[in-house]
Amino acid sequence: MNLALISLALPLVTALLLMLFRSRGWVWVALASLLSLVSAAGALYEVVGGGRQLLYLGGWDSALAIRFQLTPVSGLLLAFTALIHLLVAIYAARSHHSQTRDSDYWPLSCLLHGSLAALWLSVDLFNWYVTLELLGLVAVAMITLAGPKAYGAALNYLTLSLGASLFYLLGVALMYGRYGVLDVLLLVELVEADNSTRTAMILMSLGLMLKAALWPLHQWLPAAHASAPTAVSALLSALVVKGPLFILWLLWSQVAPRELAAQAGPILAMAGILALVAGGWAALRTPYIKTLVAYSTVAQLGYALLALGLLLHWQIAELHVALWLFVLAHGLAKVSMFLAAGEMQATLGSRRVDSLKGATQTMPVAMFAFAVAGGSLIGLPPSGGFLAKWVLLQPLFLEPRHWPWAFGVMLGTLVTAAYVFRVVALAFDRARPMRPDYHPDPFAQWLAMLPALLVWSMALISEPLILWLTGVTD
Amino acid sequence: MSPVVFYLCVGAGLWVAGLHGLMVVRHPLRRILAINIMGSGVFMVMVALANRGTTVDPVLQALVVTGLVVAVSATAFALRLARAVLSLSPPPRSAKPHTIKPRPTQPHPTKPRPTRDSPIRNSPP
Repeated sequence: MNLALISLALPLVTALLLMLFRSRGWVWVALASLLSLVSAAGALYEVVGGGRQLLYLGGWDSALAIRFQLTPVSGLLLAFTALIHLLVAIYAARSHHSQTRDSDYWPLSCLLHGSLAALWLSVDLFNWYVTLELLGLVAVAMITLAGPKAYGAALNYLTLSLGASLFYLLGVALMYGRYGVLDVLLLVELVEADNSTRTAMILMSLGLMLKAALWPLHQWLPAAHASAPTAVSALLSALVVKGPLFILWLLWSQVAPRELAAQAGPILAMAGILALVAGGWAALRTPYIKTLVAYSTVAQLGYALLALGLLLHWQIAELHVALWLFVLAHGLAKVSMFLAAGEMQATLGSRRVDSLKGATQTMPVAMFAFAVAGGSLIGLPPSGGFLAKWVLLQPLFLEPRHWPWAFGVMLGTLVTAAYVFRVVALAFDRARPMRPDYHPDPFAQWLAMLPALLVWSMALISEPLILWLTGVTD
Repeated sequence: MSPVVFYLCVGAGLWVAGLHGLMVVRHPLRRILAINIMGSGVFMVMVALANRGTTVDPVLQALVVTGLVVAVSATAFALRLARAVLSLSPPPRSAKPHTIKPRPTQPHPTKPRPTRDSPIRNSPP
């Protein structure tokens, strides 16, 4: 547990020190992310060997205490968060086109890292509210770094995020009024399927779905993620929307009574399929590069929602694994895609998809990174996305009554392939390539490539990874 | 109707009114006000629930205090951002959102230089 706390405290302290000394030294941020990654890996190793750990903050007993819980999943997410922050920090510092090099990006990204780590470790309904608010406020502040053109989208995101928090808070108040506890582990033993619980669960879920941009509450996401600076877009899409998803997963798979969960499952799964199709269709139609990638986030979150819904409906344990594999694979692929898209947009000097014409010639590495990450989103083997889809589809293929859902997954794959190939086909149109405004920056392009290679290398360790996740998510 | 139920209903009513405002209203300042009304509704529900037993429940009151701190700081940030947004754009009613520049009817005498946002198509000139 101490290592997990170090992993949480390091970015938090770094953020406060950077603000105190008004420093914008990226070295400190990268160092904090690196050390946080090392300690998170240590915590993960510890918890996998020794099982779940609990910490009573302030030493109070369980009725009053706010508890932290370290499970293998939260340990994994801690390490994942630190890894993504490290990668993006190096990009934000070294890319010639990064708009964030000499800005308040550095303390804010550390704060974001700290709030995410606190969210993964919390196991208390109200503490989650606080971490969600922190996450929302920091995310909005980071979007405004892009300058005045992003203010409108940022304000819209902020108001919707605050409204969503109040949905969640009303649900928490009802839950506390009914059971008198906020601690999730205590709540699990008390919870019953009555009307007040149902109302509370619906309110909390609506708030979380709006914050996680799950269909049909996703309208704020494309504008907000597309208008942010590139490094920020990558963090937002890869990590920030996963926070509310984590809470939603814990609430429904552990707290919700079985019959309630079984009723909600098909609705969530249906929303997932619609997210896949609607998000993919919008990505196919949009004229802007970063908006395309942002809509692809909306679509890909549909897979996670589908896995969650089917998991609740049939209580199939493999789908926990599928859900978290999707989160990891999508996070890595989306970092790669946003960095590549941002780099190409800045070098070619246009935000439009049309300007990618001939990009395989002018910026081969960035375009390759985009295509490779897109391959993982489509689910081409051997990649992390394929792995997740494989684990999701296997239980669906076993029984004929599950087949309609498998058809939904196929439809999603088809739409994903369509919008990825829309870009790739344009990039191979080398007849009259768009001439870059600046020299392409090879280091930044290779940096965009790195997470895409990581997501494909997930396939190399597929069997141990699936077996390990099956063991730890039970 | 007991006072607890009364205040619960008022709180829920405020929350719904605020939500309605948030969904209907467009002006940034009004949306921020709508969020604050929603927040007051939630806090009122919490304070009413704190009095549901014979003694006052201190946990809920502590939650309300924490919630107020969060609400104040979030509102301050939202107000600053709203000011920045409003100072950028003229009020939305008076602006003409769909002004489209008339296209030149005559082709440009010299060969047009490819602009950033519209690369040349494959069609021959």
